[in-house]
Amino acid sequence: MSVKTYDSLSQIQNDLAVGAVTCRGLVEHYLRRIEENRHLNVFVAVYAEEALRRADEVDARRQEGKAGRLAGMVIGIKDVLSYTGHGVQAGSRILDGFTAQFTATAVQRVIDEDAIVIGRQNCDEFAMGSSNENSAFGPVRNAADTDRVPGGSSGGSAVAVQAGLCLASLGSDTGGSVRQPAAFCGVVGLKPTYARVSRWGLIAYASSFDCIGPITRSVEDAALLLEVMAGPDEFDSTVSRNEVPAYHALLKENRPLRIGYLREGVESEGVDADIRQKTREALDALQALGHTVEPVDFPLLQHVLPTYYILTTAEASSNLSRFDGVRYGYRSPNATDLESLYKKSRTEGFGDEVRRRILLGTFALSASYYDAYYTKAQQVRRLIKDATDALFAGYDLIATPVTPTTAFRIGEKASDPLQMYLADIFTVQANVAGCPAISVPNGTDRTGLPIGFQLMAAPFREADLLSVAGRLRQRQEVPA
Amino acid sequence: MEVLEKYEMVIGLEVHCQLLTATKIFAADSNQFGSEPNTNISVITLGHPGTLPKLNRKAVELAVRMGLACRSTITQYNLFARKNYFYPDLPKGYQLSQDKTPVCVGGEVPVRFRDAGGQTLEKAVRLHHIHLEEDAGKSIHEAGQWDTWLDYNRAGTPLIEMVTDPVIRSGEEAAAYLTEVRRLVRYLDICDGNMEEGSLRCDVNISVRLKGEERLGTKVEVKNMNSIRNVQRAIETEFRRQIEAIETGQPIIQETRMFDAATGQTAGMRVKETMNDYRYFPDPDLSPVVISDEWLAEIRAGMPALPKERYEKLLAHYGLPEYDAALISDARELADYFEAVCTRTANYKAASNWIMGPVKAQTSEKNLREQQFPLPADKLAELINLVDSGQVSFSTASQRMFPVLIEQPEKSAEQVAREQNLLQNSNTDSLLALVDEVLAAWPDKVKEYKKGKKGLLGLFVGEVMKKSKGSADPKLTNELIQKSLAL
Repeated sequence: MSVKTYDSLSQIQNDLAVGAVTCRGLVEHYLRRIEENRHLNVFVAVYAEEALRRADEVDARRQEGKAGRLAGMVIGIKDVLSYTGHGVQAGSRILDGFTAQFTATAVQRVIDEDAIVIGRQNCDEFAMGSSNENSAFGPVRNAADTDRVPGGSSGGSAVAVQAGLCLASLGSDTGGSVRQPAAFCGVVGLKPTYARVSRWGLIAYASSFDCIGPITRSVEDAALLLEVMAGPDEFDSTVSRNEVPAYHALLKENRPLRIGYLREGVESEGVDADIRQKTREALDALQALGHTVEPVDFPLLQHVLPTYYILTTAEASSNLSRFDGVRYGYRSPNATDLESLYKKSRTEGFGDEVRRRILLGTFALSASYYDAYYTKAQQVRRLIKDATDALFAGYDLIATPVTPTTAFRIGEKASDPLQMYLADIFTVQANVAGCPAISVPNGTDRTGLPIGFQLMAAPFREADLLSVAGRLRQRQEVPA
Repeated sequence: MEVLEKYEMVIGLEVHCQLLTATKIFAADSNQFGSEPNTNISVITLGHPGTLPKLNRKAVELAVRMGLACRSTITQYNLFARKNYFYPDLPKGYQLSQDKTPVCVGGEVPVRFRDAGGQTLEKAVRLHHIHLEEDAGKSIHEAGQWDTWLDYNRAGTPLIEMVTDPVIRSGEEAAAYLTEVRRLVRYLDICDGNMEEGSLRCDVNISVRLKGEERLGTKVEVKNMNSIRNVQRAIETEFRRQIEAIETGQPIIQETRMFDAATGQTAGMRVKETMNDYRYFPDPDLSPVVISDEWLAEIRAGMPALPKERYEKLLAHYGLPEYDAALISDARELADYFEAVCTRTANYKAASNWIMGPVKAQTSEKNLREQQFPLPADKLAELINLVDSGQVSFSTASQRMFPVLIEQPEKSAEQVAREQNLLQNSNTDSLLALVDEVLAAWPDKVKEYKKGKKGLLGLFVGEVMKKSKGSADPKLTNELIQKSLAL
C-alpha cells in the first residue's frame, strides 16, 4: 500500500475512517521511510515488530469503535525519555546497555491514547547542544541539506518529522532544544510552560528548566499532544495542578491579541537578513489577522544566556552525578580502585560538551564562587522572570525569530562553544522565565533553508500561543 | 589527675534517628530493617535516570513531633537541598537533606544526671536545630576481601538529625541527653531508638580548652559508637587524648576519628586531603514543603503524651507512689501496658506491683520494644481480679498460675485455676457435705477424737482436702470439722 505524506493526525483519521489506510499500513510506510533515510542518522533504535503489533491492536480497537484520541499517530521519542523494557541512554556512552525499567508519564499518556511508538531518536548527549553533533551515536543530518546540522538537542526528533519518518516526535526543551531544531528543519516545536507536563521519566539535564514538548508538522497536532500529556502526576511533585484546557478545541479561538515583538529580532545585525525579513512578514501577517503588533524592548536579553548557562550547568553537575559506573551503565575496564572507577568511567563515558558543563556547574557551585555565580544567577533569573511577567502585563504574546541564523554546516561551530551557545539567544528566555513558546515554520532563506518564527506567552497561556500560531500557519500555507 | 582538672571539654552531639515510617522518605519502597539485601529498593532508591523524589508526608510529621516535644520553632516553609558527594552507597551522587531551612529550629531537651562527683544536676540541653534527610545505603566489606558489597535497602530511609549547641560538658551529661532523646523518640513513636542496629546513631564533636578560656579548641568528630555507654567511653578517652596532646605540644588535627569498642580508643581516619565541598543547593525536583497552620495543629493534636505527663498521670489519676510512677513511666510501652491493665481492674496498685514484679522479670528489653509482654493486659487483669475476690492467693496466682498462663495464653485465668484446682473452695454448703462424708467414713476415729484424741483433726482435714482435690479452704475446713465433731 502506498501512503501519502500526512501533515496532521486529522488527515490520517479521516483516511482511517474511510478505509483509505490502516495503522498497519502507516507503520509499514514509516518503517520504509526510516530504512530509506538511514543516512540522516535519526533513529538509534527502531521498534519495528512492536510497532506493527501495536498497529494491529489499534486497528482492531478502531473496528470496535474503542480507539483512543491518538489512534493513527506514529511517533518517535527522543533518547532521553524512559520507555519500559527499551534502551535509553541520552545519546551517551555512559548509559551503554541501559534498559529503562519504567515509562515516562508523558510517553505513557500518549500510548494510552493509542499513539504508536516507532523508535527512539538521536539527540545531543544529555540534551546538551544546539546542533546534534554531541551524540555518542554520531551527528544527525538536516534533511533540507545533509551537510548541515538539524539543530539540537532534539535534532533526531525534528528531522524525523521533517523527513516524514513518523508523524510526530516527543522531544525535550531546556533552552530551546525543541524549538531551535524545529526551526532549522521547518516543523512545529512547542515548549510548554514549565511544570505543565510531568518530568517523570525524562532524563534530567537541568531540572528547573527541562520541559517535554512535541515536534509536529501541524499546530493542531501539537495542541492535541500537549492536551494528552499535560496535567498533574503523582510521580512529579513539581508538576502544576492547574486545569488542562482543551487546547485542541481552543484552536478555533480568534480574538484580537496584543503582540509585542523584540526589536533585536528584526533590527539586530546579528540576525540574518533573510530571517529579519521573514520575521517582519510574519508580523505583518499577524496584523492582517487583526492583532495589535508593536515593538518592545527587553533590556535584560543580554543577561539571559549567562544566567541560563550558570544555572543549567550547576543543576546538571549534580543531576549527572548518578552516572558513576557503580550501579548501571558504563564502567571503565581500566579502573583499579574506587577513585579511578569514578574518574575513568566518567571521563570515558561522557563526551566533551557534557564534561565541560559538569565542570562549569561544579565550579559555579563551589564554596569560593557560589555567591558570585550561583546565587547571583538565581537573583538575575528572578529579575528576568519578573521583567518577563511585566512584558505580559502589556502584551499577550511576544514574537521573535527562533534563531539568529538558519542551519549551519556540520562542524562549523563545533570548536567554538560560545558561538554555538548564541544559537539559543531567543529561545532561552522562555526557559529561564518558565513560560511557553512555540516555533512555527516561517518560510526559507534564499538558499532554501527553513526559518522559524517564535511566539512566547505568559505561563499557562498555551491556548493563545497555539491558536495564533495555527492561524499564522494556515495563512502561510494558502499560497503554497 | 591534676592536669585533667585544668581543662574542660566542649561537646556538641549530632544524633541521627531513623524514622518509623512504613515507606521511605522519597519513594514507596518498604522501610523495613533486616530484609534480604537489595529487596527494599526501586528505581527511585537506585537513582535511575528520569526518576524524581516524592516526599513522604509522614516523615515530616514525625520530625515535627520531635520538634514540638523539644519546644523547637517549627519551620513552615521547608526546602530540601542536595548535598553533593560521591560514594558508592549514595545512589544519586547527592543526599537529599535540609540546609538553610531545617524543619525545627532551637528547642531543648531537659536532662537529669549525676556528675562524676555524685552530685545530681538538672539542665536543659539546647538544640541548634533538627533537620530531615535521607539515609544512604550500606557498604559491606568482608574481612580479607577486596570487594565491596552494596546493600541499598537503607538508602532513602527517613532520618532526623538533631544537632545540639556545644553546651555539653561531660560524658555523664552526654549519656543523660542520649538516654532522654531515646526515651522521647520511643514515647513519640517516631524511632525505635536501637543503637546497636543503628536506628539511633550519635556522632560526638568534642574539643577541650583550659577552664575559663572563652575560645574553642580544635574540634574532633568521633563516630562509631553503638551504645550510650560507648559514647560516654569515647568522650572520656578523647578528652584524655586531646589533653595529652596539648600538654606534650602536639597539634590537635580537625578530623574524624573512629571509636573502637574493643580497645576503648579512638583512631583517626585517613586524613582528608581537602575539606569536602558539598555544594548544597535547593533540590529543583521537589516542590517546597509547606506545613500549614492546620497541618501543624493536626500534628500537635495527635501528639502522644510525653514522659513527664505520663508520670504525673500515674501519680494523680492512678494514685501510684512516686517510685512506681517513675519506674512505669520510664518506658512508654510499660506505661501503655499499665493503663491497658487498669481499664479492666480497679486495683491500680496491684497492677503496678504485678508489672514491677513478675511481668518485668519476664520481659526483655527487646520484648518491651515490641510490646511483647508475658501476658496480654486482659489476662493480667483477670489474675488481679481473681486474687482480689479471694478465690486464689497472690502467691498461687504469681507462682502457679502465671507460668501456666504464659504457656497457654488462649485460656482464661479462671479456667486455669479450675483445671489446676487452685480455686479456693469457700462454699460452706458443699464443703459441709464433704465433711459429713469423711466423718461418716471414719466412725472409729470420730469416737477416738471425741474421747480426747484431738490430734486426729489433721487426718479429717487431710481427707476433706483430698476429696476436694485441694480446692477446699483449709481454714474453713478446719472450722467446719471442729463444729461438726462438737455436736
